[in-house]
Amino acid sequence: MNRTSQRLMRGWLSLGPRFLPFADAASREVPLSRLLRLSMFQLSVGMALVLLVGTLNRVMIVELGVPASLVAIMLALPVLAAPFRALVGFRSDTHKSLLGWRRVPFIWMGTMTQFGGLAIMPFALLVLAGAGESGNAPLWIGHAAAALAFLLVGAGLHTVQTVGLALATDIAPEDKQPQVVGLMYVMLLVGMVGSALVFGWLLQDFNPGKLVQVIQGAAVLTIILNIISLWQQEPRNPDATRFDRRIPSFAESWNAFLADGPALRRLVVLGAGSIGFAMQDVLLEPFGGEVLKLSVASTTWLTATLAFGGLLGFATASRILGRGGDAFRMAAMGAAVGIPGFLMIAAAAPLFAPMLLSAGALVVGIGGGLFGHGTLTATMRHAPREQIGMALGAWGAVQATAAGLGMAAGGVMRDVMNSAAPVLGRATGYLLVYGIEVLLLLATLLAMWPLLRHGEPPVRNAAPAE
Amino acid sequence: MPSDPDKVFPTGLTVGQAEELHSYLINGTRSFFMISALAHILAYILTPWLK
Repeated sequence: MNRTSQRLMRGWLSLGPRFLPFADAASREVPLSRLLRLSMFQLSVGMALVLLVGTLNRVMIVELGVPASLVAIMLALPVLAAPFRALVGFRSDTHKSLLGWRRVPFIWMGTMTQFGGLAIMPFALLVLAGAGESGNAPLWIGHAAAALAFLLVGAGLHTVQTVGLALATDIAPEDKQPQVVGLMYVMLLVGMVGSALVFGWLLQDFNPGKLVQVIQGAAVLTIILNIISLWQQEPRNPDATRFDRRIPSFAESWNAFLADGPALRRLVVLGAGSIGFAMQDVLLEPFGGEVLKLSVASTTWLTATLAFGGLLGFATASRILGRGGDAFRMAAMGAAVGIPGFLMIAAAAPLFAPMLLSAGALVVGIGGGLFGHGTLTATMRHAPREQIGMALGAWGAVQATAAGLGMAAGGVMRDVMNSAAPVLGRATGYLLVYGIEVLLLLATLLAMWPLLRHGEPPVRNAAPAE
Repeated sequence: MPSDPDKVFPTGLTVGQAEELHSYLINGTRSFFMISALAHILAYILTPWLK
């Protein structure tokens, strides 16, 4: 260690604890306001997600003129990072630290990764599009830089969300878990809707300088939000992060996790249901526009209705589960509510009934909210004390991969069906997707049946971290 | 200042713990510089300055 480092280190030692990012000795009662602050990392995650699936998707194709196939490949890269969430969670569970920290270092690294991806992204995109003088540079530089930027943002947001949810599970008292899950989902939704509106407004009259400002602004906001979110949240517990404890291998730990009762079935149910709800995500607006001939304003309203349904779902689930309801019953209810919702959306095409479409979007939103809340709350409740990170990593890996695949599959299926066999006109592809979603949700309900009949096993992680 | 690895300083941290905290800061700074170097290279490809 050189002299500057040594001097800085002395500085840390003489600072008052007030200025250090640790939580005070673990209090049993963590107030909801602190959990609200913790949930702010979801704002930055939502912002990055919207940037990837919404804003940049459009900007790259329309304003920068990048080929659509290349854009699709680039936007698929962050989904590739999703399955590694289980590994990140495991590494966080088994982190060795003298300080007794195991969540904050990972959230910090994830934050820096997401920041880094966003910081280089605007330049990477402009070079990819051959703007300015970059036409003279070899083509691979733009490709490699853009791919790196998307991978970094994906890896960063998956790490932040996985370990952030694990930290929330660590510190939230058992009886507040449903409210915490509700907070997390509402914050994610607020982050997504809010930043979609702000990005749209800021990029109205597009120019390259604006793109740099907006995306780098998002990068800085990521750091600010995440630091506010994790400041003095994690209590230090050096005993749990001792250097000399036995660390199982990932395979060992994973097998132990799956051996615990119906863990695998829970993941399968989660995957099927998530695909079921995600396939319509990018289709709702074009369905309204293309088939029901709605204006852009009305189709935007559809998405808002869907989001509002989601809020209703989260609120209902928080209230019922907060009173001690069964989380899996709640998820099953979500799937059961989603089925009539999709039938209503599909029926809106032959009946030419925009009102039915709005009502269907609301019902699907509620169903998706109940399902998401139910599965996450169940994951938190069942997570073994020593494997909280891995359990939430597995939940996130399955959920995010399924959502990404579902969204892509929905778009591809519609296009293929509409060009191969448009027996019902433009509606054919959409109706096929809605039909498959209904079937997937039915399959989810069937697979869930044994989970409901066994009821909830006794809760294991009752005591918060000491 | 004597460095006794087990001495607890006013923060409640030992030397080892302060070193660990410091390492997180240094890693963050290193990655920050790598990111900014990369961003500068890309920006230079886009609009070369000093020409």
